[in-house]
Amino acid sequence: MTPHSDMPQRVASRPTRRAALAQGSAATLAAARALAPALFAGCSLGIPPRARTVPLGLLHSQTGPLAISATSLRDAQIFACEKINAGGGVLGRQIDIKAPDPKSRLDLFERRARSLLDLGSVAVFGCWTSSSRKAVLPLFEERDKLLFYAVQYEGNESSKNVVYGGMVPNQQIVPALDWLLGPEGGNRKKIYLLGSDYVFPRTANYVTRKYLETKGVKPVGEAYYPLNHADFTAEVKKIIASGADCILNTINGDSNLAFFAALAAAKVDPTKLPVVSTSIAEDELRNILPEQVQGHYAASCYFQSLPTEANRRWIADFRQEFGFDRVTDDPMEPGYCLVNLWKQAVEKAGSFETAAVRQAFADGLEFAGPGGRVRLDPATQHCDHWFRLGRIRGDRQFELVKESPAPIPPDPYPSFAFPGWKCDWTKGGLEHGAEVKIDGPV
Amino acid sequence: MNTRWFDPESWYWLYDIPPTRLSLLFIATFVGFYWIGSILLRPVLRQFVKNTPGSNDIVGYVLSCFCVFYGLLLGLIAVTAYQNVSDAAANVTREAAALSALYEDVSQYPEPHGQNLRWLLRDYTRYVIKYAWPLQQRGIVPEEGTIRAEAFHERLLDFQPQTPSQEIIHAEALRQFNNFLEWRRMRLFSVKSSLPASMWFVMILGAILNIAICWLFDMRFVTQLVLGGILAAYLGTMMHLIFDMNQPFRGDVSISAEPFEVIYRRMDDA
Repeated sequence: MTPHSDMPQRVASRPTRRAALAQGSAATLAAARALAPALFAGCSLGIPPRARTVPLGLLHSQTGPLAISATSLRDAQIFACEKINAGGGVLGRQIDIKAPDPKSRLDLFERRARSLLDLGSVAVFGCWTSSSRKAVLPLFEERDKLLFYAVQYEGNESSKNVVYGGMVPNQQIVPALDWLLGPEGGNRKKIYLLGSDYVFPRTANYVTRKYLETKGVKPVGEAYYPLNHADFTAEVKKIIASGADCILNTINGDSNLAFFAALAAAKVDPTKLPVVSTSIAEDELRNILPEQVQGHYAASCYFQSLPTEANRRWIADFRQEFGFDRVTDDPMEPGYCLVNLWKQAVEKAGSFETAAVRQAFADGLEFAGPGGRVRLDPATQHCDHWFRLGRIRGDRQFELVKESPAPIPPDPYPSFAFPGWKCDWTKGGLEHGAEVKIDGPV
Repeated sequence: MNTRWFDPESWYWLYDIPPTRLSLLFIATFVGFYWIGSILLRPVLRQFVKNTPGSNDIVGYVLSCFCVFYGLLLGLIAVTAYQNVSDAAANVTREAAALSALYEDVSQYPEPHGQNLRWLLRDYTRYVIKYAWPLQQRGIVPEEGTIRAEAFHERLLDFQPQTPSQEIIHAEALRQFNNFLEWRRMRLFSVKSSLPASMWFVMILGAILNIAICWLFDMRFVTQLVLGGILAAYLGTMMHLIFDMNQPFRGDVSISAEPFEVIYRRMDDA
């Protein structure tokens, strides 16, 4: 008899604790092995991989007097980023847009730009006025980061850390003056220069005076007002009294509304005293009564009314995203193209690093934008632009009256205004000429 | 001691796990804990009640008493968490409703004011849907919506009513804007709202004690595994439910951007 022979048969047939443990463990392990791949695939617990992102800064005023124009530029660049993201991003990374508000205040531009760079933005697209661009420029040079500036400006500046996407005077103001002085524009010789009191109008009008000198013409008057100035009644009287036969308008922001209201109140006939504006586009026209601006002109590189298929498609796509009644205009189109040029440069460089991206510029970049092909000139880091002159219609759109036969290469230092100055980043950078003195805040 | 273990936020990565898998993970964790404890700790704990006549009855009484308190606690916490989600959902709906009413009000403004204000409201709504919501779902308070609300406010204050009817509409728009701001702020506050760490501590301790009491029962081992496993599985399910409702914008039981999407579609049809 075995030691356990007195155990009841019933108990002897029960599985022992050890056997139950062994069987249980085996069953658990088998179940875990069978189910684990389905439950916790790839050891990730099924967590979808979060898209890798790259921060990109947009520095546009969304409040304050410049918001009227800058918000649309922001939207065009957001649109470009979203399209890029939808196409797979840049170098496999989704663009993470950071868009703080500098509130149209110069002191805030530098602070917001600094915080964008601190957050790791690989590049910043932004600024509307030249004052704001100049306010942030030292920061970009110090950190060796790239600022992409989309608005037309006065030239007389070159920085390795800025890519200038807007027109410079030789692409915008000079062809507009040629048109005004020629038979198409009515052979006008009494030009009045009116602008906001900051860098762009002061320098642009300096270039204008110098160019007119080469044509033997002297402006009949020149005046500057602070941004946001709201009463131009007295100035319009002065312009009429000067005998001017055209006005070159470099006013920026909300002041344009007041200026055209004053012109209309004085019953100025646009056929006799036309205004050629450099900073008025479709977006600003929405805020001006059509009867106040109809018949006046704007010099630009892009109009919404351009009858090309690429433009129609771009407008339709933009409206699909941002609203059925949104308009597109000059700074929006170059702004959109700039984001795409940056993408091309990054992909060509295979890196987001500034030096590599800048090196990619040197090989030449082109993008087929809504207004035509845009080429980034590696020598100046400015873009070629079509010159287009539009007459304002009653529906707040432009009728194209003049177009350059081909895109005009940029020259930020036209020799008649800045003798001896030249910029070529592919060959040693900036050559300094004689010092140029420009009056006012430049 | 690593205090991050006690910080609920350090566990929020769990929200990134798909809901079904997360639910299974909670159940597996609780059942696994019970089973492992049954194997390793039960023989030790059983020593306390060994040779006590009617020990199963005593353990059963203790467990019943404990379960009443713990069940009440879990129930109340689950209701609180659901109320939290429900309140946040109501705030979102109210914000969207105020936004819609505001859009209607500013549509009555003369042009270009009306168009400018409508664009800014559309921009705000688009931002909320496309950018703010994904951030909220990651427990991040979106910041750039404030800029858009400020831009709208600035433009709204720019408008000077010229007629008595414009004055009435403008006053109504300002009132509606204040409502909108209030609900918007409430939404942002609720992005980070959650049960405090102390509540989680009490809940988890309660679950552990509940399970530990079950280890004291004297019964067949397999029966113990099955019955205790069922209780542990249900505890895991409850914990998952509370965890899911802990943050209003995260997890399976979370608030969607649908009220804004409906309004945005209507804005674009206008």
